This record gives sequence, C-alpha cells and structure tokens, in this order.
Amino acid sequence: MMARRKIDIQQAVMAADLGYAAKIRSFLNERGILMVNLIGSPGSGKTTLLEHTLKGLDLKCAVIEGDVATDRDALRIQATGTPSVQINTNGGCHLEANWIDSTLEKLPLDNLDLIFIENVGNLVCPAEFDLGEDYKVAISSLPEGSDKPLKYPLLFSEAGAVVLTKVDLKPYIDFDELLYWDDVTRLNPHGRRLRVSSVTGEGMQFWLKLLYDWCDEKKRRVQAQ
Amino acid sequence: MHEFSLISSVIDSLENYAAEQGWKKINKVTLRIGAMRQVIPATMQFAFKTACDGTLLEGAELELVDVPIIVCCPRCGHSWGEEHMGMICPYCGCDDAQMSQGMELEIDSVEVEDDGEEKD
Repeated sequence: MMARRKIDIQQAVMAADLGYAAKIRSFLNERGILMVNLIGSPGSGKTTLLEHTLKGLDLKCAVIEGDVATDRDALRIQATGTPSVQINTNGGCHLEANWIDSTLEKLPLDNLDLIFIENVGNLVCPAEFDLGEDYKVAISSLPEGSDKPLKYPLLFSEAGAVVLTKVDLKPYIDFDELLYWDDVTRLNPHGRRLRVSSVTGEGMQFWLKLLYDWCDEKKRRVQAQ
Repeated sequence: MHEFSLISSVIDSLENYAAEQGWKKINKVTLRIGAMRQVIPATMQFAFKTACDGTLLEGAELELVDVPIIVCCPRCGHSWGEEHMGMICPYCGCDDAQMSQGMELEIDSVEVEDDGEEKD
C-alpha cells in the first residue's frame, strides 16, 4: 500500500560541498597554511595583482587558478616562479570545494605559507561557495564603476578585505570613491579596505602587510591549538 | 548560473535520502532561499525541471520559499530589512549588527510516496 507524506528535511542545500570545505579547512589548519580566495569580475585585475603580490611577498606561496577555459593565468603565475595549478570549469561560473580538495595534493604543500585561489571571474556565483578558505577577498576595479558593492552585496559583505584596483586610472574615470567606500562600509563594517594600483605600486605595501598579518595570525592560532 | 549546481546538490541529497528511507517517488520539494542568496527563481525552476528527468524526482513540483533579510542591532534592539541594506544600525550607529535571516539555502521538506512505514 503506497502512502504519500510530507517529510521535514531542513538541511543545507550544499551540505556535501560544505563537508569538503570543512575538510580543507581542518587540513590547512593542521599545517598552518593560510588560504585566500580572490573573487572579482573578469578584467578586474586579479591575475595582475597576484603577479605583483607574488613578486613582492617573501613567503612560500602556491596558486590555484580557476577559469572557464585555457591555462593562460596559470602560465602567467608560473612565470613568477610560483607553483600553480589550473582548474578549468568548462563553462562553470565558480569553483567548488570538492575540486579544491582534489587539487590540493598537486601543490607542494611542505612548508607552504599561503595558497591563493583565483576564482572564476564573476561577482555573483563564487561568493556563494565556501572553498575552505580563511578569507574571501573582493576585488573590483575603478573602471567597473562605484555602484558595484550594493549591486553584489553578498560578496562585499562576506569579504575579509575589499581591494579597489587600478586606482591609477582615477584622473580618467568618473568614479565616486566616497560612495564606493561608504557602501562597502555599510555592508561590511569590519572588513579591511584597500586601494591599489598594480602598475604604479600604489597601496601595494598595505596589501602585502595585510597578507603577512593574516599569515602570522594563522600560524599563531595553530600554535595555540 | 550557479542554480544548476544548487539543484544538482538537492537531487543528490534527496536521492541518498530516498535510498536510505525507501521512498519510491518524490512529488514535491520545498526550498527556503534567503534574499541575500543571488538565486534567480525562474532559473532554479528550469534547472530543476531539466535535471530531475530520469530520477525519482521526475515531474516533481519545486516550491521556493523566499526568506527576507532581517538584520538586528545587539545594542538598541532594532531590526531592519533590505530597505536599509547594510550592517550598521540606522537607529544607533552600532556596527556590530547581525543578520538573523536572509542567508538561507535549505531543503525544507519533501512530499514523497513510500510504503507507509516509518523508518529511523
């Protein structure tokens, strides 16, 4: 006799992926490795910022590159001497924790301080997925316009830091920077706020300092355990 | 376009439940979606219809329950919604406000057909 009934589930839609994220987090916590997930639009300057960051940081780093197609970004990163692995999503708009989990073993994990993930260029979907990172970093560039934070509130509210890139273009672009930072602060009062130019180097010292601070904080937390 | 990923997670989870619980068919799925989640309802419906073919959920109805944003101030006790988008209290300026709802992305319930026997 077949019966019809309603059953309460009340489980996170992404329960399986959250399991992978938790696994990655505990794996990296045991080793004191910081993981930072860079999220921004295509063309916001993520890879360029990363190239200059890797040249400027005196830390052992590795990079996981997420792109819909090509290994161009991974090759740009490898040219800086930093190990990198490319994940191609073949149309997918974001990275998921299970892919990061299977990619970690391809990185030289011994004595690593910091893993950067460069997510697929997109302000929407990558913000939804926990990859086991310590911090998401929202990257938006001056030419994209000052209205982005309130249009994409999830990313800007979750980010440990918001980095405004290409600030050297300010004389040429109508960008209401007061409005931009005011909206970022409303969404994320405690997130760090940085303005950089990878081309001129403006603001890079504060960005590098933040990464050193996050790494130190992570190592201290691991030692305290 | 992450709606397809979300729907495929829902189907995977429910197929696991069905195998454990002996459900023969799933007729309806109810999801609770917070307003902070950037989910497009029409895309969810399309993804669901497409991805359920050939599974226990084929032909099932998808109900999406919207959960509005509510942010609460721990200092003055006021709460507000999307009209004041942000985490700084518009009443007292406190910057430690917490979102009490609006981030949900949950499978709330299902309507199933089975042999009528309760299982643990």
